[in-house]
Amino acid sequence: MLKSLVYIFGFLFLGETITYFFEMPITGNILGMILIFLALRFKIIKLKDVKPASDKLMKYLILFFIPYGVGLMTHFDIIANYWVPISVAIIASTAFALYVTAIIMEKFGK
Amino acid sequence: MQEFFQLPVFGVLISISAYMGAEKLQKKFNYPFFNPVLIAILFIIGFLLVFNIDFETYNRGGKYISFFLGPSIVALGVFFYEKYEEVKQNLKVFLITVFIGGISGVLSVVLILYLLQAPDFLIKSLAAKSVTTPIAIEISRLIEGVPEVTAGVVLAAGVFGNAFGPFLLKKLGIKSKIAIGTALGTTSHGIGTARAFEEGKLPGVYSGLAMCVNGIITALITPYLLELFL
Repeated sequence: MLKSLVYIFGFLFLGETITYFFEMPITGNILGMILIFLALRFKIIKLKDVKPASDKLMKYLILFFIPYGVGLMTHFDIIANYWVPISVAIIASTAFALYVTAIIMEKFGK
Repeated sequence: MQEFFQLPVFGVLISISAYMGAEKLQKKFNYPFFNPVLIAILFIIGFLLVFNIDFETYNRGGKYISFFLGPSIVALGVFFYEKYEEVKQNLKVFLITVFIGGISGVLSVVLILYLLQAPDFLIKSLAAKSVTTPIAIEISRLIEGVPEVTAGVVLAAGVFGNAFGPFLLKKLGIKSKIAIGTALGTTSHGIGTARAFEEGKLPGVYSGLAMCVNGIITALITPYLLELFL
């Protein structure tokens, strides 16, 4: 478990370091995700060495964003002023993207 | 009393226990709107309002919970590696589909808000609404949206996909379960993926992978797409 945490935080640190020193249109944690995938793919690290920590983190992924959701309370004014365009945009755009994605996959997937 | 709530342990404890309680409720009632995150957030907001506690006070502990979003994004890379074998036969089609689906999600929400003459900050806050919250929050921060608003709309897009996605797609004539899974993951991230797993294990895997891929795609293209409009 400890070793896998070192790997996860190590790749996070690597991603953050690279984006800190070089101007990039991407955040450190997303770069860390891409780098750990590549490291696994090219067998630089082993799946069993990272799996214990990553499984636990994935399991509680949604718990971790609760504080951001609660932070919405400091922006009640935005919701109160713009709830109509927000709702229209979310519903219409999600329905549209759902259909586009599904129809292409249905036509060309096996 | 306010000083007591300033202890970080308050924010940590209420976050974890509200989530645990909400999960128990969901197991009991199993209804789409009983999304555990949604319930937990509403409960905590209610609690803070009733006891007149500031968000900043709560977040002294809350920030220890949200800190783990960073390593969780890295863990998504591990999940992707573990599962991508299962979609290998469809890999090319899958990647292209998610790419187009991801762009449609960003473009359509930006276009609709633009036509409704919504202010710039709102467009920036909603652009990444289809991807998993930790990534959406990072994108929102990068393009100068309001991350808290982004967290809220991501949740809404997830709950919408979870509650109505499969019903809508079946009504529109989609038969392939894999297509439904891919669509749910592309547009409704983890909350949609939970629904995809109810359709079967394979649709669930496609959905989880679509969530990872679209997270990367949306992170890469959103800043450029926004430049076209703003």
